[in-house]
Parts: sequence; structure tokens; C-alpha cells
Amino acid sequence: MNVKDQFRFVRQNMKKNKTRLFMTILATAIGCTFLIVLASVGFGLHKSIIQDVMEDSLVTEVQVHGKEAGEGNFQGIKDEDIQHFQEITGVKAVTRRQSLQQSPIFKTEDYTAQSEAVSAYFPEEVKAGFELSEGRLPEKGNEVVVGSSFADGLSLEPKEGENAFNEDGTIKEELAYKGELVGKTIEMEVIKMEDGKEIKKSIPLTITGVTKKPSKEWMQIRTVFISEDIFKEVEAFTGTPGGNPEQIEGTPEDNGRIYDSVSLYAKDVEAVTGINDKLKEDNYMVYSIVNEMRQINMVFTILKIGLLFIGTIALIIASIGIYNTMTMAVTERAPDIGIMKAIGAHPKTIKRIFVLESSYIGLLGALFGTIVAYGISYAVNLALPLVLERVFEEAPPEGLMLSYIPWSLTLISVAICLTVTIFSGWRPAKRATQVDVLKAMRREV
Amino acid sequence: MIDVRELSHAFEIGKKEKKTVIPVLEGVSFSVEKGEIVTIVGRSGSGKSTLLNIISGFIKPKHGEVWIHGEKVSDYNEGKFADFRLANLGFIFQSFQLIPSMTAYQNVELPLILKGMPEKERQQKTEETLKRVGLIEYKDHYPSELSGGQQQRVSIARALVVNPPLILADEPTGSLDSETENELLQFIQELNRDLGITFLIITHDEKVAAIGHKTIEITDGRVMEGVLA
Ligand SMILES: Nc1ncnc2c1ncn2[C@@H]1O[C@H](COP(=O)(O)OP(=O)(O)O)[C@@H](O)[C@H]1O
Ligand SMILES: [Mg+2]
Repeated sequence: MNVKDQFRFVRQNMKKNKTRLFMTILATAIGCTFLIVLASVGFGLHKSIIQDVMEDSLVTEVQVHGKEAGEGNFQGIKDEDIQHFQEITGVKAVTRRQSLQQSPIFKTEDYTAQSEAVSAYFPEEVKAGFELSEGRLPEKGNEVVVGSSFADGLSLEPKEGENAFNEDGTIKEELAYKGELVGKTIEMEVIKMEDGKEIKKSIPLTITGVTKKPSKEWMQIRTVFISEDIFKEVEAFTGTPGGNPEQIEGTPEDNGRIYDSVSLYAKDVEAVTGINDKLKEDNYMVYSIVNEMRQINMVFTILKIGLLFIGTIALIIASIGIYNTMTMAVTERAPDIGIMKAIGAHPKTIKRIFVLESSYIGLLGALFGTIVAYGISYAVNLALPLVLERVFEEAPPEGLMLSYIPWSLTLISVAICLTVTIFSGWRPAKRATQVDVLKAMRREV
Repeated sequence: MIDVRELSHAFEIGKKEKKTVIPVLEGVSFSVEKGEIVTIVGRSGSGKSTLLNIISGFIKPKHGEVWIHGEKVSDYNEGKFADFRLANLGFIFQSFQLIPSMTAYQNVELPLILKGMPEKERQQKTEETLKRVGLIEYKDHYPSELSGGQQQRVSIARALVVNPPLILADEPTGSLDSETENELLQFIQELNRDLGITFLIITHDEKVAAIGHKTIEITDGRVMEGVLA
């Protein structure tokens, strides 16, 4: 019996009890929908979180937070460490930044802003992907680059008893700075405490560039990148490491520069793990997205398997319906099966026809189930932000996806659905092959 | 063509302790030559149907051998026997055994579908056979829309469509009136003459027995010697 005829045969048989067939397919479809939608939540959350973690952070980055010096002691990263990092294979750039231990006030014309000041080593920053949206990198000691949102922090003095800010935290229109930044001269005002009194010092700087906007809307970079000369000038003024306005008790003697933000950039993603492991081996405290990702991925893989497992139970329940339908079909058609066997139908042919019929139910169920699942998934993703907004009165994080159905999930679900249905159709099909020809012909079955 | 050797069979009924054994056939031997019409007669319950069912492969005999076409079919398993039936045997049953949900055409076509014959060839063959039994204009009728004689002719067409060298029939005229019976017997003789098909026919009807080149009588599960037409 060729394949085409088998399909024709199966379709003819299936027409014999349309209501029952419909109900069975419906049950299978519901099971399949449930499986896909349930698992899609795992896939959706995973995707959202991965996206969240990956965005604006380079996957090739390995952050170094310090070195363990034994007995629970912690050491900052120094120049000799940087030297060492640069020799590790696969490292493309080693960026290091020092933050000023106070937030200076920056003034230009009548506008003021308070921002953090950081000294960075630009040649390595550029290698790591540091970009400007306008202007150029600093060349002289008093030249600075400001963060893309620096201007958003500049404001005029509000009137007496009035607030400079709108409700959402932005600066009021009439107080906001609207001019150019590049080429502007700004005053950086730092302070130090002496005998409980605050002493101010103003350092004039020139803005030569503005950094590129990060891809995330809400990320605001207001940092002012100052030169090492200025950094040292502030340190000299305060007389403390890092330009801290107050002498902290028990601060160790200044024994060389200590960086508070050091990152290694790998040549490619594949090199990250190697660098990560090498640093750990050398007792550095490291953090890398790729490494973090490994753990996130593991947790979500377990979650997804769990959800798929629960979803499969729904399909197994549906398969009881298929089992029932197929058993009834075999019983009803036993006389026909007997006749077919009598004229020479091979038991394998009989079995194949019935297995095919249950697979057909499974396939149709999977098809409709998948279509509905895509619909539900779409609707959920559409409705969820609205619901969240209502409940929390706040816009949900951008790109949040509760339900996501990748191709792999569809394939897995259809495979599970088919396996379950074929499995449940197996026994009835086997029973069909065991129909006794003589009994069937005497209508005794 | 058919060689039955020392065939014995008994049915067992009831479970375990209450089991009773009903001996049906005891040491039955006979042979059917190619091109012959052989009829088997005997009283009701003498074991005729059991014998034919063993030859057809529907029952496995307890003892003895059945050879058809030089092949020891009594050793075949179910699947192999099914293939053998499809390739070599045609069947005519007393109660026609047509599939009620299929038209005359579809019933006749069924063995060809099982054989995996391509559609074009199948259609030609089915129509040709329906013409032969004179039912081409009834091809789209369902069995319930046909008379007993017509139904039996559909079942003969179904047997003929695969060109079997041998047709087995169990009381083929049992459900027919006398006029239709005569027609059918004539048709069987015609097929035997024109196509050289061998027939093994079971009957308790003298008229049917008379068309046999050879008649075998079964009494109490044994072949009575020397009863030849
Ligand atoms: N499946 C069966 N189980 C038990 N006994 C059976 C079965 N089939 C037939 N018999 C018995 O075998 C004997 C022969 O039956 P059968 O071959 O049908 O005779 P015939 O066809 O000559 O009328 C009968 O006594 C019948 O009761
Ligand atoms: Mg009988």
C-alpha cells in the first residue's frame, strides 16, 4: 500500500465520526497550546533578562574589582596589575578609571551641575570602544570630555522657594541649558574640609567632546572625564588619595596609584572565558557578562525544562482522549479490518493506517494548538505592559517580553505532541492487527 | 495446486479446568489439481468451513500440512500468509463480506490498493473487472444499494481483480435464490474455462456440488474415500 493511498484511507476513515474527531483534535490542540504558552513564558523571561543584561555592556568585557591578598585582605588594582593584564593572551584593551572621591560642582555661565569626575586613560578606552558623538578627545591637561547627558544636569538657579525640577525629575524647561557644550569653558569647584570648615577651589576646564549616547533610553551618563593632571591637582589640594574632602582614619599610606574601575576587553567572545579563568587563578575578583550568562542560562534552562514537563502533562491528558478515540475506532471498524485482513492486508499495513490516523490527529492538534499559542503569546505581550502600567502606575521596562515562542520551542512542542499521540495510538493500532478474521466476518467483535 | 496432508484440528473451548476439546478434522488428505473445480460437501457441522479456513490461513491447524503452489503455507506466520493471500488467493464468502462504507468500485479496488498498484493502472483494472461481472453501471453503489446477487458479483470481482490462480469459496450460493444461484454457477464455470482459475468450493447444495470436476465428502471430520463426481 503506497503512502498516498494510506493518507486517503486515513482521511476517509476519519470522516466517519466527525464530532468525535473534532473533540479529540480540540483536546490535543488545547494541550499543545498550553504546553507552548507555558514554556513560552520561560523563553520570554530568559530572552528579556538576557537582553537586559547584554544591552550596553560589552560581552567581551571582564571587570576586575580587586585582588585577594590572602587572609581575607583586599587590594586595589595598581599599575603593575595593569601591566600584568596587558600580557594576558586574548586581551585587546585594559581600561582603568579613577573616580574623584567627591562630586564637584561644574559651572558655566549661570548654569550649574553636580557630577562625578573620572580620570580615564583614553588610548585604551578608545580601543575598548569609547566613542564621542561630537568634538574630540582631550589633549591638554585642562581639557575634558563630558557624558552625553551632562547638559541635562545643567540648570539655572531656581527662584526663591521654588524647585528646579519637574515631577519626573527633569529640569524645568525655563531653567534647562540649551546651548552647545563643545568649546565651552567650565569651572570645576572642589572642596576640602579643614577644621570643620569647607574650603573651595575652582579649576577652569575646557570641554572638547561629548560621549556617544548609550543605546538604552533611560541610561544617563553625566560623568566628566578629567585628565590625570587635574586629578592630581585635586589630590594635592585635598591632600587625600582620590581627592576625598576629608582625611579618612586608617587610610593606608599612598603607595602608588589605585584604580577603582578596571576592565579588560577580550579580542572576541570566545577569549572571555579564558581571561576570566586566568584572572581568577591569579586571585583577582572578576565579573564578566559571559560568565554571569552561563549561570543565568543554566537557571533558565532548568526552568524551561520544568515548564515543558508540566506542559507535557496536559498533552498526556489529551492523549487519553486520543487513546479512547482510537480504541473506539478500532472496535467500530473491526468488521472492515477483518475483511481487509482476509483479502490479504498485512498486519503491518493495518497498524500503519491506525498509527497514521492518531498521528494525523496529533498533527492537526499541534497545528491548531501552535497557531492559537502564537495568538495568545502575541496578545499577552500586547496586554501585559498595559496591565503592568495600570497596576504599578509606572511604565514597565522596555523590551519586556513575558511570552516568547522561538522556532525551537515550536519544534520541541510539535515533537512532544506527535510523540505523545503516536504513543497513545500505538496500543489501539496493535489491537487492530489482532482482530480475528473469522470473528470479525461473523460480526462477533 | 493444493495439497492437504494429514490435516487434523480440534477446537478448545472453555477456560482451564472446564476446558473441552472438540475434534473437528482428523487426518484429512486430498489434493486439487490446477484448473480443476473441486467441491467439498458434507453435513452442517462436519468441518468443511474449518478445513477451508485452515487452507485460507485464518486458522492454524493442530497437525498436518497444507501446500499451495508448492509452498508449505501451513508454516507461514500471519504476515507472510497475508502477503500470500493477496498474491495468490481469491475469496468468495457466503455473506459477501463487502465493506459497507465503500462503493462497489472501492470494494473491488481494495486488493489493488493493498498491493500498492499505481492509480491509473488500478482504475483500468477495476473497471475492466466490474465490466466482466456486469456491474460497471453500479460501480458507485454501496453494498446496501445492491441485491444479494449483485453483491456476490462485486465480491467475485474483488476476488478476480488480482488475477488469482485459485479462488476459495465457502457456500457462495448460500444467500442467493435459485435463479441467481444458477447464474453464479455458470459464471464460475466460465471463469474456470476461460481463465483457467482453480476453484475450491464448499457447499451442502447438490446443484453446486455438481459443477465440480471432483467432489470430496467430509463426514465427521474425515474424507470419505471414492466419492468422485
Ligand atoms: N471457533 C470455534 N470454536 C469452537 N468450535 C468451533 C469453532 N468453529 C467451528 N467449531 C465447531 O467445529 C465444528 C465444525 O464446524 P464447521 O467447520 O463450521 O462446519 P461446517 O462448515 O461443515 O458446517 C462444529 O461442530 C462447530 O461447532
Ligand atoms: Mg460452514
